[in-house]
Amino acid sequence: MTILVAAIAGSIGALARYILAGAVHRGTGASLPVGTAAVNLTGSFLLGMILGAGDGTVWWTAAAGFTGGLTTFSTWMAETIGLGVVPRPSMYAVVNLAVLASLGVALAAFGYQLVG
Amino acid sequence: MWLMAPTETSRGGSPVFEQTRRQHQSSRFSTRSVQAPAAVLAGGVVGSALRAAIGEIFPVTDGRFPTTTLLVNLSGALLLGFYLARRQRAITARWSLQFWAIGGLGSFTTFSAFSFEVSRLVATGEGPIAIGYVLASLVGGLAAALLGQRLGRVVR
Repeated sequence: MTILVAAIAGSIGALARYILAGAVHRGTGASLPVGTAAVNLTGSFLLGMILGAGDGTVWWTAAAGFTGGLTTFSTWMAETIGLGVVPRPSMYAVVNLAVLASLGVALAAFGYQLVG
Repeated sequence: MWLMAPTETSRGGSPVFEQTRRQHQSSRFSTRSVQAPAAVLAGGVVGSALRAAIGEIFPVTDGRFPTTTLLVNLSGALLLGFYLARRQRAITARWSLQFWAIGGLGSFTTFSAFSFEVSRLVATGEGPIAIGYVLASLVGGLAAALLGQRLGRVVR
């Protein structure tokens, strides 16, 4: 049951990511991977709030599953490589890693505090 | 886009979304605008179900190193690197990128769980585990994606 709910909610999250990240990517001229950054940060904040308010119902599972589909680690890594990491990481690659990781953690903590 | 030759100086942008933009520009019929989101949804079902199933078998415990999330994310990064490199040299089905890369591997891996787990480790005083997890995810994630890319370039 959990897997079924997570699969459906996650796929809706993936579709939301496809639409939102694509729109942000086009809207900003796309020299940096800001579309993926936008969905990843939004999803981290949402998951912080959802798990902060945690009650274990099916809707809660669905909400958490949605953020799993909305956010992505693999695209983040692929895009970071695209910014140049070999032979030496470019400044853009380092910024894309460090800024996104620290903002993501901060937003998850903030969302958790907000409802907890 | 991220697979461009090292001599090119322009910045990378997004390998995934640049490719979809080009695909959309070359589309003639409006029905295709429904097929792309459908492929993302279908891939999303598979990727999300897989991660949920793995999470049921190997749950992440509070205050412990989140090994499950780390391995899911690293394997997803490796597979995406492999896929994108292969795609440069092989003919793929029309909605393959949307199904495998954006829907499938995109939702198999997760950034929100990573952020949340780090924030809880920090908040509960497990600083050393948090630092180890962040380093393993970032360095390991890049290494996995690069390895996948290399494999995708050589495997037939």
